[in-house]
Amino acid sequence: MTEAAHYRFPPSSAYALNRCLYALKSDQKFAERFLADPKAAAAEHGLTEEERAELGRMDRDALVARGAHPYLVFMAGLRLRMLAEPGTLEYF
Amino acid sequence: MLVGAFAVAHTPQLLIRPETEDRALVLRVHEAMARVKRRLEALRVDALAVIAGDHVEAFFLDAVPALAVYVGRECAGTFGPYRYRLPIHEALARAVVEQGIERGFDLLYTQDAKLDYAFYVPLHFVMPEPARPIVPLHVNVYLPPQPTPARCHAWGRALGEILGARPERVALIASGGMSHFPGTDRYASPEFDYDRGLLEVLADGRGRELARLTGEELDKRGNIELRTWITLLGAVGDVRADVYCYEPSWHHGNAVVEWPLGASPKAIL
Repeated sequence: MTEAAHYRFPPSSAYALNRCLYALKSDQKFAERFLADPKAAAAEHGLTEEERAELGRMDRDALVARGAHPYLVFMAGLRLRMLAEPGTLEYF
Repeated sequence: MLVGAFAVAHTPQLLIRPETEDRALVLRVHEAMARVKRRLEALRVDALAVIAGDHVEAFFLDAVPALAVYVGRECAGTFGPYRYRLPIHEALARAVVEQGIERGFDLLYTQDAKLDYAFYVPLHFVMPEPARPIVPLHVNVYLPPQPTPARCHAWGRALGEILGARPERVALIASGGMSHFPGTDRYASPEFDYDRGLLEVLADGRGRELARLTGEELDKRGNIELRTWITLLGAVGDVRADVYCYEPSWHHGNAVVEWPLGASPKAIL
């Protein structure tokens, strides 16, 4: 797979970041803590200052550029929205 | 025996619709899925073998299996407010993992991994009544390096032979697809023409050609999930696909397809 691929091998340098995105997507209690205080929640995963700032504003391009998995960024964002604005969704 | 084969989109916007999604389109996909449900009831299936790619839910970077089989008594997961718990057809699942390994496929098996929404969304809409037990079959689609299309096809062929020799009436359901690029700058521009070309190949009964696609091509076309379809194609052979719907939304090529087994496609048309 070339570096131009949309979905690339997740570099170990981004492991903590991907772990945090995974928790946002799959651990509702963590996502609730993140909504209440993004920087404190991100610190639980040992993210750097820059990573915390990018995550705080869900800066997809910056996160992906440093190795975040695009799907995790996408679904973490959707799950946060499902938690924060449940009334904007139609449930089937 | 294998009595049915289907592919069903699983995009979460079909289950929880944000206002960004065209409601009429979502309902048309639901109608195609309801047709699958009626077909599964008419086929009198005993179990559903569901091929899906875990979306980094059960398997994070602590362990990334290429192929996995859920063999517990039941499996469970959550997606937002949805809490689901589904019985597994244990005898069938064990036969798949034991005979799969015997045939040279180094399968991971799990008795308690979480069940991703990629399995749940199709089942939410197509599960026949009364509900049938399932056999969840994971194919890695999201964490590179993924299994090659050729390998998926070979596994599907073995799977088809294993299921074909069983006494239960089994339907295969491939979950996912078609073109979409979640989390990338291509999100709003999927490859719908490419999808339509693929559907023509499938409707023409030339599914085996998809085994020759490369992983690079699938990534470029937003079709990494097509690995679940290619696995199914290994099992169904050259049966012509009956496309129930192809509904391109602003970010996703939603398809629902049946490969009618045991009847000529012309008779069905």
